[in-house]
Amino acid sequence: MALKVLTVDDSKTIRMVVKRAFKGFDCELHEAENGVEGLSLASKVKPDLIVLDITMPVMNGIEMLEKLKAEPSLKDIPVIMLTAESGKDNVMKIVKMGVNDYMVKPFKGDQLIERVEKIVKLSPKSADAAGAGSAGKYFALDQDVELLNLPEKVGRPLIVELESALAAKTREMVGAGIKKLVVNMEKCSQTNMSLIKLIVLVAQNCQKAGVAFRLAGQQSLGEELKGFQETSAIPFDASIEAAKAALA
Amino acid sequence: MSIMDAQRLKNVASETAREVFDTMLSMPVELVDDVPEGFFNGDKIVGSVSFTGEAMGCSRICVNGDFAREMTCAMLGMEPEEIEGDEEVYDVIGEVSNMIGGGVKSHLCDMGFPCELSIPNITSGGNFKIETREWSWHERCCFRYLDYIAMVEIFIKPK
Repeated sequence: MALKVLTVDDSKTIRMVVKRAFKGFDCELHEAENGVEGLSLASKVKPDLIVLDITMPVMNGIEMLEKLKAEPSLKDIPVIMLTAESGKDNVMKIVKMGVNDYMVKPFKGDQLIERVEKIVKLSPKSADAAGAGSAGKYFALDQDVELLNLPEKVGRPLIVELESALAAKTREMVGAGIKKLVVNMEKCSQTNMSLIKLIVLVAQNCQKAGVAFRLAGQQSLGEELKGFQETSAIPFDASIEAAKAALA
Repeated sequence: MSIMDAQRLKNVASETAREVFDTMLSMPVELVDDVPEGFFNGDKIVGSVSFTGEAMGCSRICVNGDFAREMTCAMLGMEPEEIEGDEEVYDVIGEVSNMIGGGVKSHLCDMGFPCELSIPNITSGGNFKIETREWSWHERCCFRYLDYIAMVEIFIKPK
């Protein structure tokens, strides 16, 4: 059964960042704009976790938390608080309120997931549940090498799609004993900032999981990538076969 | 507030802004001496938050419309044509100003100037000038990302 997560924040931006962080996991996200809406939704859906902002109009996060803890049917729901303030007094105040954890903004989605995993169990979305529109369509297993097949156009939506999927995928690969990945860029004809960011994302995830990886694509693309500081040291091969052979 | 405190706050504002751009927007920014000539011409969006308490003041970020849209796309993971309206852009700039202001406020509190932070306020347009007067301390940090410039300013007055 999908884990129910309630995100309470007056900023649509932060609610989207939180939603994005959970994208690769089997979760049902609910959103509220302030403490009043948050309490009402919490009573209705009984979430498994609440990600709660502090500074909000109408009813702030501190007031909502107090009311939540005073309600027997809601008091045991784990809460992670979000705050833009890292001062000692603020942190002490949050800790004393009995929250399970807190995050100081700015934060990355995977940092939030790391905190969440200490409180509740997250399951990666299954391939079936994810369907054709998921990031799963970009991956294919070729013997003992996982291929990440990039489309012709790499833009921000693809990065968002792959952001959480890459963490789950590399963990799944290691669990299955597969420790090699080739990023197939044969369809990509030109570099852009999104492509560079995506390669950096792949590098970070592979490094974290202990997976060896190489890039494969047209020679001209390889030359372009050598010109960027972020990608200049990443091994590039002119074909998938050459990349696979180098990883063997 | 001593000169040393003021210098610490300048560093905090600069580091917090850099961290926000890097962590939330994946935009590694570079500190530059000042805004280039002509920066104040054309469409601008200013996000600000205020401090009230033992220290009074405000923190604000000013960027041009194109950069604000680029920041919105980076934060929300979308392409420019997917932005539905100004509200999304204002929300992102407001949140960025909230995070920078939150970092400054935290250090003010730790320095013995407890204060509260307001929710963000947005001003946008092509023909306006914001004047902030009679502050005992004012600092400006400017950042460059590709061809874009962001200006972060802090104004503080102990109570």
